[in-house]
Amino acid sequence: MDSLSSVILLPLLSAFLILLVPGNYRVIVRAIAVLGSGLTAWIAASLFFRFQPGHEGFQFESILPWISVGKLSLAYHVGADGLNIGLILVTGLVGFASVLVSWNIDRNPKLFYILLLLMIGGALGAFASLDLLFFYFFNELALVPTFILIGVWGRGENKTVAAFKITLYLTLGALIALAGLLLLHVSIGAQTFDVIALKTLLSGKPLSSTLQNWIFPLLLFGFGTLVGLFPFHSWAAEGYAAAPTAAAMMHSGILKKAGLYALLRVALPFLPDGAAHWLPVLAWLCLGNLLHCGWVALRQKDLNLLIGNSSLAHMGFAFLGIASLSVIGITGTVIVMVAHALLAALCFALSGYLESQSGTVDMTRLGGLLRRMPVFGTLMVMGFMAGCGLPGFANFAGEATVLFGSWKSLPWIVVAASWSGLILGAVYMLRALRSILYGEERKELAAVIDLGWWRRLPFALLIAALLLFGVAPSLLSRRIEPVAKEIVKAATNRSTPSRVAAVVVTP
Amino acid sequence: MEHAAVQHAVESGSKIQDLAWMILVAPLVMAVGTTLFVPRDRTLAAIFNIGGVILSFCLSFVLFCVFGGGSAQCTPFEWLPIAGLDVHIGLHIDPLASLMLLVVTGVASLVMIYSTGYMHDDRSYPRFFASLSLFVFSMLGIVLADNFVMLFIFWELVGISSYLLIGFWYARPAAADASKKAFLTNRIGDFGFMLGILIVWSALGTVDFAVAKAKLAENPTLLGSMAGIAGLLIFMGAMGKSAQFPLHVWLPDAMEGPTPVSALIHAATMVAAGIYMLCRVFFLYTAAPGWPGPLSMLGDLSAATLISLVGAFTALLAALIAVQQNDIKRILAFSTLSQLGLMVMAVGLGAKAANPSAAMFHLVTHAFFKAMLFLGAGSVIHACHHEQDIWKMGGLKAKMPFTFWTFLIGTAALAGLPPFSGFYSKDEIFALALETNPILFGVGILVSVLTTFYMSRLVLVAFFGSTRSESADHAHESPGSMKWPLVVLTVPSLMVAWLPLGPFLSESFDPAHPVHLGDIFFGPFNHNPIAAFFGFGAALFGFSLAYSLYWKATKDPLPTQLGLLSKVMRNRFYFDEIYETIFISLHNLFSHIADWMDRWVISGLVVRGVSGLVDISGRALRLVQTGNIQSYTFFFTVGVLLVVLLARK
Repeated sequence: MDSLSSVILLPLLSAFLILLVPGNYRVIVRAIAVLGSGLTAWIAASLFFRFQPGHEGFQFESILPWISVGKLSLAYHVGADGLNIGLILVTGLVGFASVLVSWNIDRNPKLFYILLLLMIGGALGAFASLDLLFFYFFNELALVPTFILIGVWGRGENKTVAAFKITLYLTLGALIALAGLLLLHVSIGAQTFDVIALKTLLSGKPLSSTLQNWIFPLLLFGFGTLVGLFPFHSWAAEGYAAAPTAAAMMHSGILKKAGLYALLRVALPFLPDGAAHWLPVLAWLCLGNLLHCGWVALRQKDLNLLIGNSSLAHMGFAFLGIASLSVIGITGTVIVMVAHALLAALCFALSGYLESQSGTVDMTRLGGLLRRMPVFGTLMVMGFMAGCGLPGFANFAGEATVLFGSWKSLPWIVVAASWSGLILGAVYMLRALRSILYGEERKELAAVIDLGWWRRLPFALLIAALLLFGVAPSLLSRRIEPVAKEIVKAATNRSTPSRVAAVVVTP
Repeated sequence: MEHAAVQHAVESGSKIQDLAWMILVAPLVMAVGTTLFVPRDRTLAAIFNIGGVILSFCLSFVLFCVFGGGSAQCTPFEWLPIAGLDVHIGLHIDPLASLMLLVVTGVASLVMIYSTGYMHDDRSYPRFFASLSLFVFSMLGIVLADNFVMLFIFWELVGISSYLLIGFWYARPAAADASKKAFLTNRIGDFGFMLGILIVWSALGTVDFAVAKAKLAENPTLLGSMAGIAGLLIFMGAMGKSAQFPLHVWLPDAMEGPTPVSALIHAATMVAAGIYMLCRVFFLYTAAPGWPGPLSMLGDLSAATLISLVGAFTALLAALIAVQQNDIKRILAFSTLSQLGLMVMAVGLGAKAANPSAAMFHLVTHAFFKAMLFLGAGSVIHACHHEQDIWKMGGLKAKMPFTFWTFLIGTAALAGLPPFSGFYSKDEIFALALETNPILFGVGILVSVLTTFYMSRLVLVAFFGSTRSESADHAHESPGSMKWPLVVLTVPSLMVAWLPLGPFLSESFDPAHPVHLGDIFFGPFNHNPIAAFFGFGAALFGFSLAYSLYWKATKDPLPTQLGLLSKVMRNRFYFDEIYETIFISLHNLFSHIADWMDRWVISGLVVRGVSGLVDISGRALRLVQTGNIQSYTFFFTVGVLLVVLLARK
């Protein structure tokens, strides 16, 4: 068994194993989940470090023919390049962390862990697959448990509404994206869904630009909805506020990135004319993420809603890098994706622990917690500082790279992005720290207990990864840059003259 | 191109490199080590952190002596290598940097020793030392940075260390708010700084200082019409850190932090970072001026001139405010603002002579005597049981002789009396202003009068006369750990100006004409008598004014004499209130609108759309459910016919 497939299969197998264990053997259920996800994280990390940066093409590749009906042939095809190797690593880490923070799940832990492991395995499968059908299947495999997790283990009064909303939005988004993928497949007229094969076919015979202009928006808005692209974002914050901690970590951290990943893997390189036509629109829409969601975050009293909106604002950076269509910008986008996966997971894990201790995430009812919870408080300050772009954490490296990459083509949007990242982000993050940790101690919060030694592990893991990539972002950029070059090369290889240049306003 | 610049390292390069890296990293190691391994051990935390900073100081001293005025770039390691954006972490050493290293590590060592006394009873003693070490690390990073992005990285790290230290007593709402305000105000400056870096990078194609400098020297018009904007945006960063108008509002509030922090960060080092940064990227300000279309009316006015105006305005504004403050730390804070304004003015004026060393010179002297004044103030506050109102002190001269005499020396230096160091460095600024811009010379002299006035007021009210409160009655001299750093600081406060710093610093720039710095005793009266006499006269005038008003005064006569003006000065010209109304309300308004849109418009789009669709189709389909057998048969027949029809096609 090759290691890339094993990293997908491990969580799925663990889920199957748990299925066989009687539900009241909680310790065994939990042990299997912890071991399975821990081992997954370990293998994902070893894959990341064994990956040879600077090499063209895919590594750890493996193909298993699956179905051959008539001319159509489907194959299980996985492989890693700079675009997905970082995502595979963080999926492993976040998955492990999300299993670890679920220690206080009392209701039907068996089903909970099965769903969570399916999410992890599905996400890993989606990132590793080089076959569009498998990508879609794995992505849905990860999405569906999200809805169930919110519906059954969700928190808050409006969890039913939130679960309904998130299901509706994400299903619609996924359907639109599917329509786009199918249309793409039909118009290429290929007998395969294999990404590499499709790319070779397209480079010989590109689609007409009218067709591209129809397919691209389907992919952009379909996958964009999965990421929370403005104005299709309003499911996100509410959904995360209602989701159990682990589901919020996995979805906002990992599954959201699948949409961006598909845009980079499929939409940009396959549809250069569509990209030229629609990326200016994306550039304007990402202003919505950067500023609108930033402002909305300013208003929130509920910590989860604040984190949810802030995470949407961060997605603005990822979209901006894509819209810039430059090597530096796209490299930045991928760094942002990796960094934000760790950050979002960390923030939701923090708020989950906070809620488990104080019983609320309403910031008006919290305060002065740093004295009683110094370790938790320190982790929270670090996490939130990473969130407002403090150098030393990976998010700064990604966001700064996006700013550099987009400056030449989209200067005014970079101005807005800097305002959002440096100022709005700092305002709401510092407000949250001020009202939760600082100030005088409150009597009603005297019972809170700080993180014990073992509870620190998931937080330490995520912070360590953020610091590692923040101090040495070259670990990521070296792996990403060759792919970013390929994407840009394919995406700028268009038949009609550039329209991007016409929209650009130079300072 | 990049490599050519990197490789002009000297023969003894490798040793210099090791030294420089050790200077930078030692405080970080101590900060991290303390936090991870000895978060509760007070003694070990103090020993480690003080040891780390003293090690840095000793190594800086060695570097200064061995390496002297040379300049070298250490082999960098790659941070973010992408084609077109090659960011590395490398160290750049030149006279400017090696002097600044000494100032930062020297003041930091003394402040940390002092803190063992001042913070003795604090329960978070180890955290305090770790945060100070983290700050020193960040500050040294700024000093040694060899490119814009690295500078920005450490710039931000200084911001966060300052945030942690101002909010050190986080349970106090005032401290928690002040730390937030400081960080956010700095972020506004950093916003401009970042954009400035982006402009410079896109015009010059590099973020490396040496390469950028070489490119601009080759072709001064390379920045084109963006030269002015880039200069001003980069200056915005300095505005934040060095608290220049209009971003000055955070510094007085930052006095909520422990006093040693005020001495180190908000007097000697962090606030000086803005000036240092301007000197480091000085080559941008000597390039040809240029403005884009809409601003073309600015013509030949360079960014440097505008900077000098901002500096002069800040200097005057802060000096006026300081006259009517009663809190000992706030007076010193506004005096710091005012002196920073003078330095910024000097940087701006220096652009014509291609030499900002007058500003750097004042930075160095100011760092020592202002740190001493703050530590002295801390000693007073410590003795008076955290009483900070000077009108509730009085008569401390006899009770705290050490503190009094050192404070007096600091005051004399700040006021600019010869032979104290402040006189020489201020004189250099006045001489520069006299040559380049006589109006700003006038402003400088006025600021000098005000400076002497408010400092004399402070000394006369706090140390002379009779004690005016119980806490001042029980005051006694501070312990040795606090006393001796004060005594040590008198030496540079008196003598640092006697060193030939001018020619030494000039090697970092390419000055158009030689400088006179380092004149001992009455030198300034020889080479520029007008400036020297005015400076000296301003100090005497300010003192006599203060003496006539405040000798043996029990309350401030100025509020009755000045009326409304005094109130406005006391309330800092209402800048906080103005900002509160304009910026904060504006952002709150935006966020209200955005939140409303999110709830009622956007959120409705899809959810209502889809549920509406389901609803309508449900209603339509309900019409079909008649419950009537005949109509069902009818629909069935129509259906069958349709299928048959379609099938036949």
